[in-house]
Amino acid sequence: MGDYIRYAMKRLGQFVLVVFIGVNLAYVITHATPIDPVEQSISASTSFGNAAPEAIAEMRRSLEELYGLKGSWSEQYLAFWSRVIRGDFGPSMSAFPTPVSSLIARAMPWTIGLLVTSTIITWALGNYLGALAGYHQRSRALKAFGLAAMGLHPVPYYIVALVLLIVFGYVWPILPISGGAAMNMPQGWNWPYVASVLKHSALPALSLILIGLGSWFLGMRSLVSNIITDDHVVYAEIGGVDRRRILRSYVMRNALAPQLTGLAMSLGGIFNGAVITEKVFGYPGVGTLLVDAVYAGDYGLVLGVTTVSIVGVSLGVLIIDLIYPLIDPRVQVD
Amino acid sequence: MGAILKDLLKYNIEFRVGSMLIAIVLVMSALSFVSPYPPSDTFVVAPDAPPSAAHWFGTTSRGQDVFWQLTFAIRNTLAFGVLVAMLSRVLSLSIGLLAGYKGGWIDRILMSVNDTFIVIPLFPILILFYFVLRDSMSTLLLAVIMACLGWAYDARLIRSVAMSLKAREFTQVSIYSGMTTREILVREHLPYVMPIVFSTTMNNMNWSIGLEVTLAVLGFMDINSPTIGGMLYWANQHTAVVAGIWWWIAFPIALVVAAFVGLFLLAVSMNEYIDPRSRLARMGGGAR
Amino acid sequence: MSAAPILQVRNLRAAFRTHHFGVRRDVPAVDDISFDVRANEIYGLAGESSSGKTTLIKTIAGVIKPPLELVGGSARFAFLPDCESLAQASPAAVAAIRWSKLAYIMQGSMNVLNPVRRIGKTFEDFALRHIGSAGDFQQRVEAHLQRVRLEPSVLRSYPHELSGGMRQRVTIALATICAPDFIIADEPTTALDVIVQKDVLAMMRDIQGAMGASILFVTHDMGVHAALTDRLGIMYAGRLVEEAPTDVIFRGALHPYTRHLIASLPRIGDRSERKSLTGVPPNLANAPPGCRFHPRCPLAVDICRVQAPAMTELATQHRVACHVVTGEAA
Repeated sequence: MGDYIRYAMKRLGQFVLVVFIGVNLAYVITHATPIDPVEQSISASTSFGNAAPEAIAEMRRSLEELYGLKGSWSEQYLAFWSRVIRGDFGPSMSAFPTPVSSLIARAMPWTIGLLVTSTIITWALGNYLGALAGYHQRSRALKAFGLAAMGLHPVPYYIVALVLLIVFGYVWPILPISGGAAMNMPQGWNWPYVASVLKHSALPALSLILIGLGSWFLGMRSLVSNIITDDHVVYAEIGGVDRRRILRSYVMRNALAPQLTGLAMSLGGIFNGAVITEKVFGYPGVGTLLVDAVYAGDYGLVLGVTTVSIVGVSLGVLIIDLIYPLIDPRVQVD
Repeated sequence: MGAILKDLLKYNIEFRVGSMLIAIVLVMSALSFVSPYPPSDTFVVAPDAPPSAAHWFGTTSRGQDVFWQLTFAIRNTLAFGVLVAMLSRVLSLSIGLLAGYKGGWIDRILMSVNDTFIVIPLFPILILFYFVLRDSMSTLLLAVIMACLGWAYDARLIRSVAMSLKAREFTQVSIYSGMTTREILVREHLPYVMPIVFSTTMNNMNWSIGLEVTLAVLGFMDINSPTIGGMLYWANQHTAVVAGIWWWIAFPIALVVAAFVGLFLLAVSMNEYIDPRSRLARMGGGAR
Repeated sequence: MSAAPILQVRNLRAAFRTHHFGVRRDVPAVDDISFDVRANEIYGLAGESSSGKTTLIKTIAGVIKPPLELVGGSARFAFLPDCESLAQASPAAVAAIRWSKLAYIMQGSMNVLNPVRRIGKTFEDFALRHIGSAGDFQQRVEAHLQRVRLEPSVLRSYPHELSGGMRQRVTIALATICAPDFIIADEPTTALDVIVQKDVLAMMRDIQGAMGASILFVTHDMGVHAALTDRLGIMYAGRLVEEAPTDVIFRGALHPYTRHLIASLPRIGDRSERKSLTGVPPNLANAPPGCRFHPRCPLAVDICRVQAPAMTELATQHRVACHVVTGEAA
């Protein structure tokens, strides 16, 4: 147990480091801009309409703290961090006066739902099929699947999403191609609404799954084709251990640990894919929020979503790191 | 080198298909030099014409010939990928070799930073860059930014090779003969990591081109110099799918997918070729 | 003691067939090998690394996977008399005898045990189907572990939590839990330090004596053979070159290669210089014609370079494959 605590503390340290570097990156980027974002944003939003003067003052204050060039360098930096830690990115300009944080909170469940479900399906299915392909190397069907994976895996998320959109939107319109649920339906835990959510998330999830499947499949296949020559697998075969047991507990189980590490390492990339996929299908998650915020010139929202996604993805990595010892008992504390 | 290529072409189907696809892509981009139309001019031909003998891939709603436009687009997109790959190779090589060779706290610090860059979602960061830079965001600047963000994964691979090299005898000999760290890394270790550098280059190009296409499609970069993403951006702006101008979308996608799959297959076959296991079998040392 | 053989190997041939980047290779790693292992004996197989020992026992045990292929001959066990070799037997028949009749101890105990599985689970995987109910099983395993002086608590451990010696004792317990008729042991003591090695050898002797199993014991270490085996076969470059009771080999080996192996053993008080052979063991992919030992043999004559010598029984229980030695005897 002591080993596990030390391991967990190390992972926690890495998590803090990632968030620290990520947020600093955001700080540097936003403060390197040659134009004054505060004045630009204020003028943009006041030209929209008739916001109350006190609301504008409130917005100016938060913008100055987030991007401001007033005060000393250290004051700017501290003000920025205190905003970030409180999760307070001020009011959104494009949805004035809704705070950025509540816009993100509204979009977050959609993204988490889509991302977690599709990632788990992708990872489990890709690894399972990949393990079978590595174990039964002569199976025609699995070889064909390998070819398909090789063709699909290198294609970026956007292209696959676009192709699915065209196919299911125009050629064979059986699935909704936009939105998170039917427009006129009240939100709630009732079957029609849930069914509508599932139907609307089918295409975004499918494009995330199609791309992801290939990399897990190919990775697992090559891992397994190496593991089956390992001594402990050969030994189990000599020992007449049940074939399914060998595949499950001797082969797959040993390949799982590196694949779990792989999952932690590719979480950032998967999130990148989710951003563009959400936008293509008009899915109401943080990806769409981010892209629309850029179009609307909404500084607070862009910075807020960026920061939250850095923290969110690092948190996902931390969770995977913390459950890793369940898969591999040889916890390394080096 | 020539013999290796011949071997790969003859016996490795992935390499054969991959180099065929890349050859198509290269020929297309070379054709841009003989294009009858300047790349940025619009309305030089009749708009919205389907593929025909005069315009093989049809024309766009902006009055451009899709085929010739595509030759420029794929050239720029490829050049972008090569540029990012080159720049990030410098970073991942120096960091990977140094961390692997030095070990100790230098390694720990470099790898902590490295893992951070692997974990951080880069797409929002790139969007943030575009957001603050807006029109000052040039293709060149984007390439530099992406190189600075995209070195980490490959640095880790190179580090693991460097760590194994460190234990080898010739490294000790070099140390005793008074070579500096820089000399050892550049003269002794670099040649050994070159194969893995080649294969990671392909994968890195896929990564950067993929992001470039995505950013351009959203309009988050200079969409006036023709790239694959830029073409798709304009097609979307003119709702080409709804209008039934499928050739404006289909041909760029087909060509860029050929590039992706081609690069990936080259990386795969290269990896298989440099894998010690298969190299051993090739040399006939497989028997135990 | 000349009991009926429990294993009969006749003209066994196996080869590695690879096809990679256009280079086709056929490496005959086991070439025309015949010998018997009798009930209740420890038969030793000696030879340098890459002499084909491991390939031979893999072929006998029927664990053949590409690129290794069975080319010809038979390896028949007394408990599966209708079966030419395990490689050709029906999977069901093989599964029935694995571990209950035929067990295996491998080199490198660290890698032999599944690193992510508790030892107790591994015992269940290998032996439960041969030994009744789970309740009895637990008791039986714990009792058996006592024989190799291991606490029952190792059953809840992962392999990496045990020392090298403990792991090796675990594998010996694992191989003997079902009281098999035949145990194949491939370099089981090679990776261990000398003290542990001695301990493990004594343990194997005890268990073999108590259960009456036959052991096919493979190691390059002639010292271990001298201490443990009843009869000894010497392999060189994929072929058997000499076979005799172990004490006969050590007192009066006939084949020049065997004589070299024995001469190179250190002896207490012996200060004479060790003679070494010139040259290196041949690459099996490109083996010399005739007797494979001839390029290094001090006795080689013309016929050795063109014709492979056959195994000839020169004395009771003493077979040797050498033109020169059999020529002198005739």
